[in-house]
Amino acid sequence: MSNSQVITHDFDYYSPKTIEEALKNLKEEGARVLAGGTDVLNEIKMGGQRPKGLVYILGISDLDFLSWGDGLKIGSATIWSKLEEDGRVKQEYPALYDAVKSMGAVQIRNMATVAGNLCTASPGADSAAPLMALSAQVEISRINDRGETERRTIPLEDFFTGPRKTALDQGELLTAILIPAPFQSSGSAFRKIARVKLSIAKINCAVYVEREGDVCTHVRAALGGVAPKPVRAFSFEQTMTGKELTPGSLARAAEMVNEDISPRNARSTAAYKRHAASYLIQDTLEVAWKRSGGEMEK
Amino acid sequence: MRIPIVLKVNGKEYCLEVKPNEILLNVLRDRLHLTGTKYGCGIGECGACMVLLNGRPIASCQTLAVCQSGQEITTIEGLAQNGKLHPLQEAFVDEGAVQCGYCTSGMILSAKALLDKNPDPTTDEIQEAIRGNLCRCTGYANIIKAIKTGARRIREGTRG
Repeated sequence: MSNSQVITHDFDYYSPKTIEEALKNLKEEGARVLAGGTDVLNEIKMGGQRPKGLVYILGISDLDFLSWGDGLKIGSATIWSKLEEDGRVKQEYPALYDAVKSMGAVQIRNMATVAGNLCTASPGADSAAPLMALSAQVEISRINDRGETERRTIPLEDFFTGPRKTALDQGELLTAILIPAPFQSSGSAFRKIARVKLSIAKINCAVYVEREGDVCTHVRAALGGVAPKPVRAFSFEQTMTGKELTPGSLARAAEMVNEDISPRNARSTAAYKRHAASYLIQDTLEVAWKRSGGEMEK
Repeated sequence: MRIPIVLKVNGKEYCLEVKPNEILLNVLRDRLHLTGTKYGCGIGECGACMVLLNGRPIASCQTLAVCQSGQEITTIEGLAQNGKLHPLQEAFVDEGAVQCGYCTSGMILSAKALLDKNPDPTTDEIQEAIRGNLCRCTGYANIIKAIKTGARRIREGTRG
């Protein structure tokens, strides 16, 4: 039976202080990662998950960081609020900042981690679209058979393999998110359509655009809630890249979004989502364009 | 499996043994008898179970007690000092910001966390700060008024 007040399921608990210790704990059969808990504990309460052990990673100080170099590296124990509080996130990656502001209430942003949102891999996860548009990669760590720590880095879009499914194997831990530095004349934005402000998105969308004068020299767009996993809008990107931005060229590119998505009737009808996605992507690109310093005739 | 933990609540240390699956909210209410923190939705959406963790509002229904061993927790019971209500608590009384009272603990803790960072917030900033606190009596207007009054009294060092 499920309820939201107590957890009846018993599990073992591990509280590693180092990454290596966590990776060892994760080799135990049936162990899974516990970070902020806002997804995992609800799943356990509701009976959707019955892990044999939980490995709590927010006690690992080596995973709690925002590190600026040639781009940004976000440790996987970093809560959303820290992105909100670091002024450079808003300045350099406004799409990500928009997502923070739209995501959950204060108490959730103070608990939930960005990496946890990726690992839950909801098709409408608010972190996915902006990080995909910003060309993020994820660093995944594990201990190999010889007992050594190994790391691999993959593009975020290859991390999602299906609804609530990721490329993480048993024993692996997402240790960091890497975002390259944005181009000088560039802008990014994130927008979502949801029932009320805090709700999970029906559709969300992020666009990153590089600009030379009135021309979109490079566009990356991603959408959530419109396919089994967050998707890149390749047809839209191809149609828009190299074009002068006008309401006409944008509307034509936005029609191409239909090629990129395969919505189901979830939280809204598929027909509505197709229609709304083509407008949402236009709005999002316009905001990103303005942030890149561009103007658009109306 | 029972694990010894030390919960630091409202400046006091409590040494307990908990099972890994015990939720912080239930330990506060059932073991420490700090019943000012309420069980509302149980899924982190309503704000009734809010406590401050190292000064930040969190949902105590969404974390295990064992995860918070050694951390500083503040519940609504920790706000009054020497038998005197906190200025925000007084302002909630004076402005009639309490109806059924179920959301009040969370509202006041959200407001306290806000004022600790921003002593003179705008209405928008207050609304943003209490976005995760649902009041089903829909008494928001007086709650916002009370937070402004509390903020002013704290700034001026006066009380109601």
